[in-house]
Amino acid sequence: MSDEDPDSIAEDLPVSDRVARTVFVHPSERAAAQILDFYRINWEYEPTSFPLEWDAEGRVLAYFTPDFYLPDYDLYIELTTMNQNLVTKKNRKVRRLKELYPEVSIKIFYQKDFRKLLFRFGVPVRPREHAEGGGFEAHNEGGGSAE
Amino acid sequence: MTPLPLEFPDPRIEEVLLSERQIADAVARLGQAIARDYDGRDLALVTILKGGVVFLADLCRAIDIPLTVDFMSISAYRPNVSGVVRIMKDLDDEISGRDVLIVEDIIDTGLSLGYLLRVLKERRPASLSVCTLMDKDVRRIVDLPIEYRGFSVPDRFLVGYGLDLNGLWRNLPYVATLQEHVWKGHPGD
Repeated sequence: MSDEDPDSIAEDLPVSDRVARTVFVHPSERAAAQILDFYRINWEYEPTSFPLEWDAEGRVLAYFTPDFYLPDYDLYIELTTMNQNLVTKKNRKVRRLKELYPEVSIKIFYQKDFRKLLFRFGVPVRPREHAEGGGFEAHNEGGGSAE
Repeated sequence: MTPLPLEFPDPRIEEVLLSERQIADAVARLGQAIARDYDGRDLALVTILKGGVVFLADLCRAIDIPLTVDFMSISAYRPNVSGVVRIMKDLDDEISGRDVLIVEDIIDTGLSLGYLLRVLKERRPASLSVCTLMDKDVRRIVDLPIEYRGFSVPDRFLVGYGLDLNGLWRNLPYVATLQEHVWKGHPGD
């Protein structure tokens, strides 16, 4: 980085700090945040939990919390890196979210799609065993999984 | 799908997705539409190195109105390397007040193009539009206005006609898919 001017280095620091400060549930989410940071796209990690189910007294029984919110695009992003049986459950939640909150824009990225996306950005991935939660793990950071 | 030409026996290539004929037809169609829409305007074609060069070379010759061509290059994301996207090679010409058309070979996530649109918009062109030969919209993260589109393509790893993997296969005259094991391995394998 020695060939860069001081201003550009300073510009980098908050980006790295931000990813470092955030505790991600899954390492692939960290990979996604780093890619968004690289392209200077503002993001918020799990900023909103949307109530999906209520009991008779109005108490919330189930929430859905999308992984990212991109404020400049008013868009939520959900990364699905689990096995297919769990994807079905998540699909149901996303459908319910769209029914209850039609004004909310959300995109869901499935395991296969996101794996291709990471490959596109040169991020090696390895399959995760079922006992590890399935899906895959992005190997683009020094630290281990937050799980 | 068209069977893979026998003269290109690389086993990593799976099959032809877009033939030379299909590409040529799309280029002609796009060129006519652009020439019609930009007639009498100050058109500047801008492409992103390196992938867009092949498409630009064909497209600019299919547009029969005066225009200029220019090139940009931006840094690519690399794992484990901190920093943000940067312009590695800027335009040679001013675009203020001109009608700029960004020419892309393929748009998938839209992240790099989104960055480029933000950068070029600050330079106050008269208009700023996008033409892409291929649109892999299943992978789109950032929605972008695309005025001219050649093909919608599936979410496969594509090479040829400017598209590469580790610098290879840009010179194929068609667009082909790669065998799945190529992209399933680590990049560069």
